Amino acid sequence: MTTGAIVATVVMSLVFIGGLWFCFSRMGKGGEWKD
Amino acid sequence: MTYEYGGGAFLIAWIIGLIVMGIPWMMMEFGMGRYFQRGAPGVFEGIGKKWEWLGWWPVFMAFLIVTYYTVIIAWALRYTVSSATLAWGAGEAGAAGAAPYFFGDILNLSSGPGVLGGLQWPIVGALALVWVALFFIMFKGARVIGKVAVWTVTIPWALLVILMIRGLTLPGAIDGLNYYLTPDMAVLGNIDVWFGAFSQIAFTLSLGMAGMFAYGSFIAKKADVTNNAFITSFSNCATSFFAGFAVFSTVGFIMHALSIPVGEVSGAGLGLAFVSYPVAISMMPALAALTGVIFFLCLFFLGIDSAFFLTYGGVISPLMDKFGWSRVKVTAAICVIAFLIGLIFTTGGGLYWLDIVDRTASFYGLLITGALACIVVGWVYGAKKLREHLNETSDFKIGAWFDWLLKVVVPAGLLFVVIYGGFMKDIAAPYEGYPLWAASMIWVILAVTLGLSFVLQAIKTKTPKEVSGK
Repeated sequence: MTTGAIVATVVMSLVFIGGLWFCFSRMGKGGEWKD
Repeated sequence: MTYEYGGGAFLIAWIIGLIVMGIPWMMMEFGMGRYFQRGAPGVFEGIGKKWEWLGWWPVFMAFLIVTYYTVIIAWALRYTVSSATLAWGAGEAGAAGAAPYFFGDILNLSSGPGVLGGLQWPIVGALALVWVALFFIMFKGARVIGKVAVWTVTIPWALLVILMIRGLTLPGAIDGLNYYLTPDMAVLGNIDVWFGAFSQIAFTLSLGMAGMFAYGSFIAKKADVTNNAFITSFSNCATSFFAGFAVFSTVGFIMHALSIPVGEVSGAGLGLAFVSYPVAISMMPALAALTGVIFFLCLFFLGIDSAFFLTYGGVISPLMDKFGWSRVKVTAAICVIAFLIGLIFTTGGGLYWLDIVDRTASFYGLLITGALACIVVGWVYGAKKLREHLNETSDFKIGAWFDWLLKVVVPAGLLFVVIYGGFMKDIAAPYEGYPLWAASMIWVILAVTLGLSFVLQAIKTKTPKEVSGK
């Protein structure tokens, strides 16, 4: 893979994994959907 | 989209679109749904009776979308069976036969939208199965839908992992990934890239289709709506990014197997799924049929997931809110009516009409109603009031930046897409070169559904309103 492709993969993975980790670590309130 | 707009640089514009447009829009729809405890029409009725039409217009769009979206799911189901025997052929014969198989054997495509031809009965049968499945998923309501969604999200993810591993082990895969991921910053100066990125964000998050307001109303009263909006947006886009590895490794394999440049691989939309991917399957050195079955099964589950979300939150829930009808009756009626309307897309001319209705509902309808919704919520209801409601239950307090994104940036982004990519092209010449009468149906459908939205606004709401906010 090109250097640009590797950098893009790492950056995008950090954005998504980091973002989701941040959000899920703050979960706790909520529960099932209700109509 | 990444394929159409020059590969890696598109991802940068796409992430910016997600942050400045997608997430604030998602927060608005979730937040307003939770505050008013209603679907889209109930939300806008709550802002003011004269705005209720703005909630019904996207309901019509959601309904139109599911009528043809379920036909695409039916194709995927049909291909799941076809893949087991590589019905379009194996090896080079399969590579040559994939397009004739799709347009001939499956669609029996006619010469134009004015020639419908007969119904394609295998697709009609598959469509009926899809609607029966959707009925049983939806008729017991949001609680069951939430439980089913756990499986219909998990299974495609597992299948995507398998497809990605299969794709990465194919010769030429790295060439495809380099095209997908290597950023060419010069491309960011091209306005088409920004158009593509913003429109993709609008479509992929299922916003502007009424559904997210209803799902906002299903969220528990003490739940963190802001966090839910971020998780939904990030999860969706992470899945898209991840799926890109499975897709582009396969595109690279096609380039390698057929010795063609990337521009000659049909790499977008229906052409990718039902022509290019079957070409790749037929050329695979091993596990061809199994890979095909897994791919189309994955499409089937992803499609079913979106379809019940959109049908229930976008159509059924607002009708129950408005008229107080029972869930079972509304669900059965919507499934039958949508199936009957969907039959037009199973004819020989169905692909043309699918394209026209898609342009109407999931382009114009989604973008126009989305922009208007943000303007009305931002300026009439008040972005600050919404922000205060969101912050009541949010660990992460959002600041005044949200107000300006909602009031200015999101509607401006949506209007840019609809004007630049829509009106400027479709008014200058009929959409996709269709006959004028057929292309004009875009404007007719938009006008009729807008009129019907005002009719529904004039009808008294049967069920009492209950606001969850302060």
